[in-house]
Amino acid sequence: MRLMLNKQKLYWSLQAGGWSLYAIVQIAASVIASDGLGISSQRIVFLAYEAIICFGVSHGYRYYINKWRWLNLGLSRLIPKVIVSVFGLGLLMYFLRIPISMPLGLFSVSVAFDPQNILGLSFYYAIIFFIWSALYFIYNYFERYNKSLKLEAYARAIELSNLKSQLNPHFIFNALNSIRALVDENPAKSKQAINQLSSILRNSLVTEKRELTRFNDELKIVKDYLGLESIRFEERLHTEFIIDPQSKEFLVPPLMIQTLVENGIKHGISRLTEGGLIQIKTSIENDKLNIQIRNSGRYVNGVKRTSGGMGLENTRQRLRLIYGDAATFRILTENDSFVLTEITIPHINSL
Amino acid sequence: MRALIVDDERLARKELIKLLEEHPSIEVVGEAMNADEAEQMIIELNPDLLFLDIQMPGRTGFQLLESLDSAPLVVFTTAYDEFALKAFEVNALDYLLKPIQPERLSEAVQKINEKERSRGGRPKDKKLGLEDQVFVKDGDRCWFVSLNNIRLFESDGNYIKVYFDNNRPMIHKSLNALDEKLDERAFFRASRKHIINLSWVEGIEPWFNGGLMVKLKGGDKVEVSRRQAAKFKDMMSL
Repeated sequence: MRLMLNKQKLYWSLQAGGWSLYAIVQIAASVIASDGLGISSQRIVFLAYEAIICFGVSHGYRYYINKWRWLNLGLSRLIPKVIVSVFGLGLLMYFLRIPISMPLGLFSVSVAFDPQNILGLSFYYAIIFFIWSALYFIYNYFERYNKSLKLEAYARAIELSNLKSQLNPHFIFNALNSIRALVDENPAKSKQAINQLSSILRNSLVTEKRELTRFNDELKIVKDYLGLESIRFEERLHTEFIIDPQSKEFLVPPLMIQTLVENGIKHGISRLTEGGLIQIKTSIENDKLNIQIRNSGRYVNGVKRTSGGMGLENTRQRLRLIYGDAATFRILTENDSFVLTEITIPHINSL
Repeated sequence: MRALIVDDERLARKELIKLLEEHPSIEVVGEAMNADEAEQMIIELNPDLLFLDIQMPGRTGFQLLESLDSAPLVVFTTAYDEFALKAFEVNALDYLLKPIQPERLSEAVQKINEKERSRGGRPKDKKLGLEDQVFVKDGDRCWFVSLNNIRLFESDGNYIKVYFDNNRPMIHKSLNALDEKLDERAFFRASRKHIINLSWVEGIEPWFNGGLMVKLKGGDKVEVSRRQAAKFKDMMSL
């Protein structure tokens, strides 16, 4: 609403300013053309009136542009319409100035209806209105383009924040429950667990706002996360890390690896009565970071569990939004007993 | 009351046992770490009460209950499970959120004690009587239904349609197996397709071929086959 009002205001001030300038230039040109002889006051009044009529005519013209939505037309359809219109407007201008020149005593029939005069002056006004049209359309196109860019950036930001991973409340409460039991059984271990949990919570609070985080920070979250899950799952959960030391040079979307590891536990290990293995392995190839997450279990393609399907789809979309086509993501069953989730992401230098 | 704790996490079981020490009315008779183990222990120990986790490796807590002939009293325990919470709230089932708050546990125990009193203790024989309850799940909705409220079982392929209130959910069982479990003083096998609750019978009319048409409260009508009609007359006249 505010924007609309501002736009209206801008239009009126440009109209008023533009046509005033036009009148001043015309008068100045007349004075110069008079070679020091000066010009009559009637001439000045006439030129001022002319500018006012131009103001009115161009405003009416704008009314039709809006009414017939010419801003939505392609250039090939717009240009002929504009050309025909400006010639029409030129002719209209020519006849509108007659009633004004009459009372000022500047009118003579032979001059006014001389075809050469009519054509010449109409053409002159047509050019003036053509310039007006050009300015009007260029301004509007530019503004529209700008707005669509802003909208696009805004939509992307919203989409990205919706896709961002969050800590799963199920995990947090289960962890707290295990820690409470651990307080009696193994106080030292329970302290360590509280440290791990608070480190995860703090990290997730900080990184949730960011688009990217350092690989090592993410790895720490994953390690803390798995530390807590192994309190819960005890001997049912085995973990293994094979990390290329160069991985720390990379930036990754926060909580993305954690989410995939959690998926592996939720849909893999936690469903296996005898438990299983989670392995996280990274390597670098052609300046791209390859992350492989393996978990015991089998990948059931499709939407067996809606929540799981959503998580993977989110990851895919998030990668696409951040890296375009430069990142890859896949999930598959390996040797019938492991699920492999693999992402490859390019090197981005700045946070 | 004799309780069985079903949870896949050792620490979670331990914590609950510790909390239950404050409640001498509850005696923990066993711990199971998955649905299969629990099912076995329910048969052996015949507990009055289950503390049941929903998400476990293998079958879920809901699936365990569905497989039981009759459900003991149940208190669900879960950390956070949107779907389960919805089911609990819609159906006013008793549940505890982990970590379990001692006050909430006291409330739950109190409620259970009241329920147990009103049920008047379960009869020792294994037949299912009117005071028993079954667990029924139909999509997202689930119920503990007292057999008292079930007017009719109708077989439908491999399933049984259970009629109570305005609901007719299906359970995956055979009518013959169910018939063997039900107390014959309360339920009657009217035909190949139907078992009726005798306390719901409102009227009886003679029918073709020496059969009977039984009208149940609520309007359902069930045909009693000729073979069963004599037996039925016998029972109702007593």
